[in-house]
Amino acid sequence: MSDEIRRLSEELARDPSSLVFMQLGEALRRSGQLDLGLKVAHRGLERHAHNADAHDLLARIRVDRGELQEAFDEWDMVLRLAPSHVGARKGMGYVLFKQGKLAEAETHLSTAATHDRGDSSIATALRMVRRLLRYAHVAGNGNGAPGHVELLAAQRRVEEEARLLFADILGEGEHTALLLNADGLVAAGLYITADGEDVSQDVGAALTGVRDEALRAVRHLDLGAWKAVVYETDLATVALAPAIDESMVLVAAGRSVPLGFVRRVLDRCVQRATSWLEEVA
Amino acid sequence: MSASPFEGVLSLLIRQRGVQGCLVVGEADGIVVDSNVQVGIQSNVVAALAAALYRKARLCSAAAGLSTVGFLQLEAERGHICAIGRDGLVLVTLAEPRAHIGRIRGAMIESLSVLA
Repeated sequence: MSDEIRRLSEELARDPSSLVFMQLGEALRRSGQLDLGLKVAHRGLERHAHNADAHDLLARIRVDRGELQEAFDEWDMVLRLAPSHVGARKGMGYVLFKQGKLAEAETHLSTAATHDRGDSSIATALRMVRRLLRYAHVAGNGNGAPGHVELLAAQRRVEEEARLLFADILGEGEHTALLLNADGLVAAGLYITADGEDVSQDVGAALTGVRDEALRAVRHLDLGAWKAVVYETDLATVALAPAIDESMVLVAAGRSVPLGFVRRVLDRCVQRATSWLEEVA
Repeated sequence: MSASPFEGVLSLLIRQRGVQGCLVVGEADGIVVDSNVQVGIQSNVVAALAAALYRKARLCSAAAGLSTVGFLQLEAERGHICAIGRDGLVLVTLAEPRAHIGRIRGAMIESLSVLA
């Protein structure tokens, strides 16, 4: 048990009517203790049945347990208690997206985006839903609401587009590029090792930490917005630059590729990523 | 009292165009070992942040299987941070946007042996 969870548990034991159950439930959720988290959220709701954030916590635990419909119902309850609750809109959009109900997902996500323009994860999800919707309509020749087949066709098209987003910029060169979203997940591009292994997610997740540290440095030193981080390793030159919605482009090139050329490739990849993301504003 | 072994390197770097400060910093703790900075530059803050950035790049690169980090440059709207490390020490340069990064990079790579 982590120190935080122990501390929150003790606090709740001292005062069972306290709202600290929400922090405890969230800490348990984040640590993957979903059964315990669910129990804590249920007990808390027995005392605070009209607390929207408590229902939101329960919904997020339900989603993590894969109980999408129960989560949706819980967020529906949140909206009855707090009609402008952004988390509920975002969550419902996610569930509907997972259920293939793109038009409804778009409605909830665009409402969430209106209420919270600073949340890049909402903007990213909304772009994805809108892109899928557009392609699904194209796949169905614009005849009515797209069905399962059109949705699958749209998903394939998005995946293909994302995989090849930087292909013509990179050519056959000894370099590779990725577009990473705010959470470090790969949104486009590929990172294939010399052995042919796809390590895109691992590299993306690992290098996102550098972006966070760069952000901290420019903020504290009053250097304005960061434009790029470039560093050389024994094996490669790695270049990172920000794109829209707090996403980031990463270019890695073999050491034989000149540094200036890597920067040029990075700039072109950022432009490409930005245009691609902005296609579906 | 003998002069710092880093004095020569730091005075070489501070003479480069646009350089506002240069420091030798402990990578693990971000504490200044030696520095040569212009008036107004908070060397302790620069040291801590640059060391943390360099350390993070080193750890992330190792995690991504990209081997040891050499020269690193952070470019921002109002300046650059350059860093290069060896044996737990990091040589850091803080520079204005007008600085000639190519020259600074060359000078820092040449100076790397002094960190050993």
